[in-house]
Amino acid sequence: MVGMSVLRSAAALAARLNPVKRVSAGTLLSGSALRTEKAVVRYGSHGKKMFVIQPTGYYDRRFLNLLKYYILLTGIPIAVIVTLTNVFIGEAELAETPEGYEPEYWEYYKHPITRWISRNILDDPAKDYEKMMALVHNEQEKRQMRNMHLEVRRHMRQKGDGPWYHYDTLDKSLIFSGHKATPDD
Amino acid sequence: MPQEYEKDAYPEPPKQTPVTEKETTLPNPALITSKLFYYSVDLPVTKFREIIDGIRGKNKYHYYHQNFRRVPDLTECVEGDYLCYYEAEMQWRRDFKVDQEILKIMQERLRACQQREGHSYVQNCDSQVKDFNQVAQAYNSRYGDLGAHANSRRCLMKQKERMIEQQQKA
Repeated sequence: MVGMSVLRSAAALAARLNPVKRVSAGTLLSGSALRTEKAVVRYGSHGKKMFVIQPTGYYDRRFLNLLKYYILLTGIPIAVIVTLTNVFIGEAELAETPEGYEPEYWEYYKHPITRWISRNILDDPAKDYEKMMALVHNEQEKRQMRNMHLEVRRHMRQKGDGPWYHYDTLDKSLIFSGHKATPDD
Repeated sequence: MPQEYEKDAYPEPPKQTPVTEKETTLPNPALITSKLFYYSVDLPVTKFREIIDGIRGKNKYHYYHQNFRRVPDLTECVEGDYLCYYEAEMQWRRDFKVDQEILKIMQERLRACQQREGHSYVQNCDSQVKDFNQVAQAYNSRYGDLGAHANSRRCLMKQKERMIEQQQKA
């Protein structure tokens, strides 16, 4: 008796813990999904309002907005300027250098913006070349001076007759070469 | 902007498209697609370009080709004359760029020939292929394995190696 009741309560507990799917006869035969009966409810609003829990999009949205802002801050003026120059000013055309005419250094470029940059911001390429040549010349002079210095040192050390590598000796007239008091002096 | 080139320099051979006479009443799909493409893409683009050219037509200005004077080579420089070295190096770099452009032009010609001939390029593009091979071999022997830090001095050394090899062969 007690075992039976214990068994029954255990069965009830098991049934509550692991709900077994009650397979009805109709679903066995059909084999399709279980027919759920939806409650027909007509709302006056846009359906049942759900509180959807999502992770915050604040930081992502803020980042994207700032990115768009900072890109467009300079992007739009640049795009406008480039479009207007391409439409209204246009690129140059290749032409033969006229006789006796030396083109300015910016007239060797095609696009108007490149020409503007070359004219107003950058130096004449010939000037850049000369600047580089000046640096090379300075370094060459320094090298030549240093080499000469070393060679002169070598010569003076070898021969010993230059202003370096000779050590001051006593004046000959200061040496007393007369007879000394003791014969060992 | 399209690449500017003289259309008379390398004239294309006359077109050999045969004139087709319509033998059936069925519409020709190729003709239909070509007309579609013409009206939807070609015509608007041409009109746009004409409008823009009309706006830009008033102020035309030119750009010129820069010619550099020839300076003494690296072989004609006294040793230790760094100014001469610098000028020779710059001249060599300009010549390097010019040779690269020459190679690109030969490639472009070969490509154009292949595009023109279609499937018969194997037979008809012979002279272009020969020229390109010649130019590419010359470029390779002169500038071939110099690498990214190519120098006029290293190129000269490469030439020296070539001459030594030639001497050893003979």
